[in-house]
Amino acid sequence: MKISGTNTLALAPEEAYRRMQDPVVLAACMPGCESLETIGEDEYRMKMKLAMASLSGAFEGKVRITDRTPAGFRLIVEGTGKLGFMKGEGLLTFSQSGDGTEVAYEGDVQVGGTIAAVGQRLIDATAKMMIKRFFEKLAA
Amino acid sequence: MIPQQFEYSAPKSLAEALALIADGGKPLSGGMSLIPMMKLRLAAPDRVVDLARIAELSYIREQAGSIHIGATTTHHEVESSAVIRAKCPLLAETASFIGDVQVRNLGTIGGSVAHADPSADYPAALQALEAKIVIKGAASERTVSADDFFVDTFTTALEPGEIVTEVIVPVEAASTGTSYQKLLQPASGFAIVGVAARIQKSGGKITLARVGVTGLSNRAFRAAATEQALTSGTAVQAAADVVAQAIDANSDLYASAEFRAHLAAVYAARAIDAAIRRTS
Repeated sequence: MKISGTNTLALAPEEAYRRMQDPVVLAACMPGCESLETIGEDEYRMKMKLAMASLSGAFEGKVRITDRTPAGFRLIVEGTGKLGFMKGEGLLTFSQSGDGTEVAYEGDVQVGGTIAAVGQRLIDATAKMMIKRFFEKLAA
Repeated sequence: MIPQQFEYSAPKSLAEALALIADGGKPLSGGMSLIPMMKLRLAAPDRVVDLARIAELSYIREQAGSIHIGATTTHHEVESSAVIRAKCPLLAETASFIGDVQVRNLGTIGGSVAHADPSADYPAALQALEAKIVIKGAASERTVSADDFFVDTFTTALEPGEIVTEVIVPVEAASTGTSYQKLLQPASGFAIVGVAARIQKSGGKITLARVGVTGLSNRAFRAAATEQALTSGTAVQAAADVVAQAIDANSDLYASAEFRAHLAAVYAARAIDAAIRRTS
């Protein structure tokens, strides 16, 4: 499922760019992220616990950063658990917007397994909510 | 299709239930959402607290211009209640659109509201009715508006340990016209879009317009732009066309965001037209 949007942060572009590559910040901001451990350059092992409505489950996976340019980079998050698997990747670009930064993202979310079989109609809304929470925490 | 092992409690009083829930128990009402999730092992609560045997949570009462509905009142009870049909027909009509007859016989208003599925039917009507939701925890009690209650997809104003105990809707003036119109997903019965409209007219003019929308986005909401257009004399279709304005529409395999926004305008026009015809 394609996903795209923009979010304005009350941070300077350099600061927004830096924060979104900092594993400590990413771990704190990604909804449900329990740990993020460096396993290589721009590559991290992630443990995540998803709890939404009556649904709850643990995921293990990776977070990677690629295609780094001065304007932005690509963030790839993938995880597998008993409930199924998910993979999201988004190209993030940063631009000045007033005193803050506009972060534009464009990418793709894939979800499979039981969770997708029964929750197909909710993937879009859930992905949007998680992205929104991520940016809310990032700005805080 | 066999859930993981869990402990089951069926308290008879609300106080007992709230103590168990404060202790980490997962409240179970009609079980129309939670049980399928447990059978698929997408949900695996350690303890389930069944609210069905708490007599003090199942009632429909008219009181001082409002109708108070206990949380474990089923959709069928709402749909067939003489009081609700006569005095808050929008809610009875909306209940009649939920799922199928088996779901309506077991599913409850409190369960639906607390679950906050973004495609559930009740939230559209509760937004249009400016309903109030009563929330209780072991040490808390508060009442919030429907608009404040539905925060996001599956996210409500409920704090851990709290449950919905009552829904309060207004007694409708006899002259008000209301309607709920929905396009349903044929497999699940959920609304692809659903629109609830309440209209009052005076001297040929619309004096009150309330439009609640579900299924379109992350949460059920009141379409303020459409309401304002209606009360300022805009034609119904033109007012309905702005229903999805500034809304980030959801998309799934069944309906893209663009198609959903279009459907919202079509169903808003139908609901508003039907509501206008029912005014007197």
